[in-house]
Amino acid sequence: MLGFIKKDLLMIKSNFKILGFLIVFYIVMGFMGQMDISFILPFMCVMIMISTFSYDTFNNWDAYAVALPNGRLNNVKAKYLATILLIVVTAFLMLILSVIMAYSQNTVINWENIIFTLLGSVFGTILSLSFMFPIIYKMGIEKARICIFAGVFGIIILAGLLFKYVNLAGVGAMLAKLENYWPMIILAACVLIPYISYRISLKIYLKKEF
Amino acid sequence: MENILEVSNLSKKYQDFTLENVTFSLPKGMIMGFIGENGAGKTTTIKAILNVINKYEGEIKIFGLDNKKNAEKINTEIGVVLDEMFFPEILTPQDIDKIMAGIYKNWDTDLYQKYLKDFGLIASNQIKTFSKGMRKKLEIATALSHHPKLLILDEPTSGLDPVARAEIMNIFQNFIQNEDCSILISTHITSELEQIADYVTFINQGKIVFSESCLDIFDNYGLVKCTEEEFKQIKKEDYVRYQKNKYNYELLVANKKSFQKKYSISTIDKITLDKLMVLMIKGDK
Repeated sequence: MLGFIKKDLLMIKSNFKILGFLIVFYIVMGFMGQMDISFILPFMCVMIMISTFSYDTFNNWDAYAVALPNGRLNNVKAKYLATILLIVVTAFLMLILSVIMAYSQNTVINWENIIFTLLGSVFGTILSLSFMFPIIYKMGIEKARICIFAGVFGIIILAGLLFKYVNLAGVGAMLAKLENYWPMIILAACVLIPYISYRISLKIYLKKEF
Repeated sequence: MENILEVSNLSKKYQDFTLENVTFSLPKGMIMGFIGENGAGKTTTIKAILNVINKYEGEIKIFGLDNKKNAEKINTEIGVVLDEMFFPEILTPQDIDKIMAGIYKNWDTDLYQKYLKDFGLIASNQIKTFSKGMRKKLEIATALSHHPKLLILDEPTSGLDPVARAEIMNIFQNFIQNEDCSILISTHITSELEQIADYVTFINQGKIVFSESCLDIFDNYGLVKCTEEEFKQIKKEDYVRYQKNKYNYELLVANKKSFQKKYSISTIDKITLDKLMVLMIKGDK
């Protein structure tokens, strides 16, 4: 499986000039206070990994990958692990940047705030990869893009309608009761949600023909 | 003789194409050529053997094992070249080396580097800078570098110049010097097969026309060229197919010795795989 992870990371490395420029750009914007980069950088990892699906499709990689030892299983597993690895590395990078930023602006480091922001951004990106990957495996990258866009748009509309027409005061109160357990709940969700997503993707991929 | 690959009654239905009861077997230590025109079912058969397509009827055994139930074990011993390029173009041969070392337990970096050197491939160049022929060479180098026992090659020499083709055919011949190793090779360049193949399997419109040893094919099949008058005297059951040309008739006969005994036609030419294919597909019965 290591070979499959390497393949995705080497493909990302091949585009490092563009990625490096974007990362530096966002970090500079973050330091200038123009942009909150805590969500942008981890989310970029997911988008970068999605670009590897395009390369795979364009180059017929999947037809070859399934003929490799344990190809179907490892190809899917590697995609998830490489993405999560990138997210974790980026989260550490964000942690270091937050500390540097606090020092450079002579402000007190608010560890609780930093950790919560990081946890939130990691959770958000893991949630989005867990949502997107099975759709990509099912529909292929081209159709999946449209589907994901429609899905996100649908969720936003649904949430808007929910907030407008449903009294969510009860839900808010219930969530407030769980205040002390949120880090644990988010951590558990960060493991459980991608695992369920991986199982769905694998099930789709095992049946797929190329 | 022990078979390394057995395909039995393989059937697969598509909207506009059906693979029907494809059956053949490849003995250990042999090279089998898999021939047929475009769209005959060669790639579909190869994809089924490799589990690239997995919804089909029939049974496929590789190394005596069911190819679906034992895919992991089987795939470690197989080297593959598909008809379409499959390595991401932004990678380099150097990257492929690192990737494959993480996939195959018995990946041989030294052997891979030797093939790259022999094929004149620069390890640090991106694949997108390679010509079609160079890409095929890279795929072949990769297929050979984990010491597989079975090579399954779909059009491995397409896009290669004659010198490179000869070089690769030589590599394939060296590969089967080890009697445990075999090759299934699908190609349009049948002249190469005549030099290296021990068996030929011919598929047409999703059905196997024949799967025989080259020795039997060239011993038995023959090409008869005759005039219209001579043709009229030949019984239908004595030839397989015929083709009417501008000045003569060409007949494919399946048993040239008995044909020669029966008819006064003195010259029966040796059949080539190309001619055999053309007559089988385009000839009349």
